[in-house]
Amino acid sequence: MIFRIFEKKELRSLFEILAAHNKIVGPVEIGRDKDKNPVYAFAEVSDFNSIKLNYTTTKLPAKRYFLPFQEDLSTFRIEAGNWQKTIDYNAKEPLIFFGLHACDINALNKLDKVLLHSVYPTPYYAAKRKNMFIIGIDCVPQSFCFCRSMGSDTALHGFDMFITDLGAKYFVEILTDTAYNFLKNIKTEEPKEKDHVLYMKTAAERNKKFTAQVETTDLAKILDMEFQADVWKQWGDKCLACGTCSNVCPTCYCYGVEETVNIDLKGARKTKSLYSCNLIDFAEVAGGHNFRPERHTRLKYRYYHKHRGFVEAFEESLCVGCGRCGQSCLAGINVPEVIASVRGGKIK
Amino acid sequence: MKTKEPEAKTYLGVPLYRPKVAFFEFSSCEGCQLQLVNNESTLLDFLSLVEVVNFREAMTEKSDDYTIAFVEGSITRGDEVERLKKIRKNAKILVAMGSCACFGGVNQLKNRFKNFDWVKKQVYGKHPIDSGLVRAVEDVVPVDLRIYGCPIKKEEVEKIVLHVALGKSIDIPKHPVCMECKANENICLFDLGEPCLGPITRAGCDSWCPNNRAGCWGCRGPAEDANVEYMKKIMKEKGFSEQTIMERLDCFGGFKKVK
Amino acid sequence: MKPKLKFTDVTTQPPDTQRRKNDLSSFEYTHRAEITSVYPLTDMETIYRIQVIDPEERRRFKFVPGQFVMLEMPGIGEAPFSISSSPSIHGEVELCIRKAGNLTNFLSKVGRGSHVGIRGPFGTGFPMEEMRGQNILLIAGGLGLVPLRSPIAYVQENRSHFKEVNIIYGTKSPAHLLFQYQYDVWSKDDINLNIIVEKTDPAWKGSVGLITESLLKILTGRDSEFYHNTYAIVCGPPVMFKFVCNMLNKFHVPMQKMFVSLERRMHCGMGKCCRCNVGSTYTCLKGPVFDYWTVMNLKEAI
Repeated sequence: MIFRIFEKKELRSLFEILAAHNKIVGPVEIGRDKDKNPVYAFAEVSDFNSIKLNYTTTKLPAKRYFLPFQEDLSTFRIEAGNWQKTIDYNAKEPLIFFGLHACDINALNKLDKVLLHSVYPTPYYAAKRKNMFIIGIDCVPQSFCFCRSMGSDTALHGFDMFITDLGAKYFVEILTDTAYNFLKNIKTEEPKEKDHVLYMKTAAERNKKFTAQVETTDLAKILDMEFQADVWKQWGDKCLACGTCSNVCPTCYCYGVEETVNIDLKGARKTKSLYSCNLIDFAEVAGGHNFRPERHTRLKYRYYHKHRGFVEAFEESLCVGCGRCGQSCLAGINVPEVIASVRGGKIK
Repeated sequence: MKTKEPEAKTYLGVPLYRPKVAFFEFSSCEGCQLQLVNNESTLLDFLSLVEVVNFREAMTEKSDDYTIAFVEGSITRGDEVERLKKIRKNAKILVAMGSCACFGGVNQLKNRFKNFDWVKKQVYGKHPIDSGLVRAVEDVVPVDLRIYGCPIKKEEVEKIVLHVALGKSIDIPKHPVCMECKANENICLFDLGEPCLGPITRAGCDSWCPNNRAGCWGCRGPAEDANVEYMKKIMKEKGFSEQTIMERLDCFGGFKKVK
Repeated sequence: MKPKLKFTDVTTQPPDTQRRKNDLSSFEYTHRAEITSVYPLTDMETIYRIQVIDPEERRRFKFVPGQFVMLEMPGIGEAPFSISSSPSIHGEVELCIRKAGNLTNFLSKVGRGSHVGIRGPFGTGFPMEEMRGQNILLIAGGLGLVPLRSPIAYVQENRSHFKEVNIIYGTKSPAHLLFQYQYDVWSKDDINLNIIVEKTDPAWKGSVGLITESLLKILTGRDSEFYHNTYAIVCGPPVMFKFVCNMLNKFHVPMQKMFVSLERRMHCGMGKCCRCNVGSTYTCLKGPVFDYWTVMNLKEAI
């Protein structure tokens, strides 16, 4: 691993040099909530001033840039009773992600496991993922962040460079030669021992700020044991079955496919839309049978996939602990409380 | 406007079913029918899939020979009941189109008043008309299919007609508006301190109102498995008054049966 | 050097024809295939014989009994179907299709010669090689005979590999019996046919009752040698295979030797869409064929 350190003003230079030749996606403020707090989102940026590097968690993850809510898997030309299929992976150019937090980088690493590195890799994801240049940035833990419990408070890989704010300077970790070459465009130096000390102190300070927690010891086993537990029913009574938790989740990848005929009958398309296992018809089959007709069975399934099934397959959870689902859920259903209740705690 | 007799259409070698359709309006603003003729880019393709025999907003000829009747509006007068029953008799498939036809729509708000004479006087002044309790179409005759929304979404109707032609089933979303709202990357109305029925209202509108930073009023009625009880509790906890909540739930009449 | 990122075009990577499961281009690739024969079976079910058109693709298209394909009709839909034909015929599958959804309704209107898309084959199969030298119970309830036809064909073609073979098949009524034209050939290949119906009609001369009654007759009075050296393939609705497998278990047929095929909704067939998950197991990857021990350990399976 190669480390460098540079003056804060250099980051603007780096941004401008990169923005001159590439499309950049970064955190921006899209409005204020009722308490006047900024609401952040990932968007295309061309002006360094509009990027908010001290942002708290965005409401929505950067998912739409690699797993769009909706995309055509294929299109058909219909002619004289026959068809021709065209496949397009819907990736046109590389994108620079300027300022992803560790949790969101880890989310990508988890998605890679299932969408890139297991059987039948997904070309639609691969085409976008292989064209992402990622600049990670450190964050200030919020009250709802439990990434530390999920082991995703720091990122080991899945980015090109990762910058940490040391007050007067940025400390940068370089993983790829592309990043190394990009950094030649600005003034950087070799960090000294005092910088290392400062880095470790900064990291230690950050660690103290984590408050939310999830106890993951033996979780896969406990979820199996408590499959019939009453608490699921209680959470199910609150659940609105609206699918918001999946939509704001940086790792939810489930989807549905629909084929449609164009109204002029000359074409057709096969469209993939991200779906949510909490929606009523997620497990409904042709003919009408529904394998999970009750809200609590669907909510439970989501936790099983995240905290048991994925663990079984990849020895890690599919949850990064970003806390977005709990923050967005109007019914206040959140991972720390659900897991605690399955472990025998009381529901508020 | 008159629909020409086009040559028989096929899709992948299978002949399409080209039904005779008729459009009728009852107590309503006729905005739903207006939606249908709005989208000019697809209008001709749309009209080639069906044979329109009755459509007051777009043509002058009339016929009672139709298979599918699209009915817009709520039923408020005695003569409307008779007309509707006749349409039901003629049609093989009766489609309630829009919130008024499906639930009574905004019109049914007047059902809350006990003193109808007072209402009439407030609304019509010196020119009163015969108008009684507002009913949804299904409260008068059986309905085969519902197209939700105030107004309806043209794309949805096009899809329904295309599916009828192809023999595909008609799948109206069962989940709530939140799905579409999140896909449209809106800030949640509750974060902005606004009430919204998105979490319990049937999707399909592409979160039309929230896209414009206006909370959902539930014009498409409840989603399947809508958790109305808990939603009311949430809204109360968020500081909205009972009156604000009930105003929204009552507005289009869609939640009458579930709340 | 300009700090401009190079676009990586994943479509230019050479297709990995040897390892279909790792090749990006195989994800959405459909074999163009032709409906070569349409054979009405009952009012609701029809057998479609479908052949891959390209000769080279046809040669390479192989499957094992128990696997499924995704059948696509552009603009209409795509859905999974278990293969109902002999695995020794390459590039051709027989699918039994029941009118139940958009795709199957539309298919009922297209004729011989129409082109469809096929992806796959996908999923696990029945371990026929492992069953060599053993007795086999092929047990089907209702439509379960459809996926069972593939292992039956395998057994016919390799009859010498197996000891005693029994088909136990139960339906609601004699009118619901499928593939009656094949029963004679099965018998002549020394496969014992045990057919039982729940409700009889005047013309019916066979057994009446539940499938487990037929099974009980076959299992009763055998020695432990028989039970330990018997494989069972069970296809049918979950309630049926639960009762059947429990009975087999009572006779100490090992659970790892009982195989069932699960049916779930699928949108991809490749372990991505999550629609077919049982508990948190992908039916399309780890199944649709599971041994009963695994099924017992799956939440939500039965």
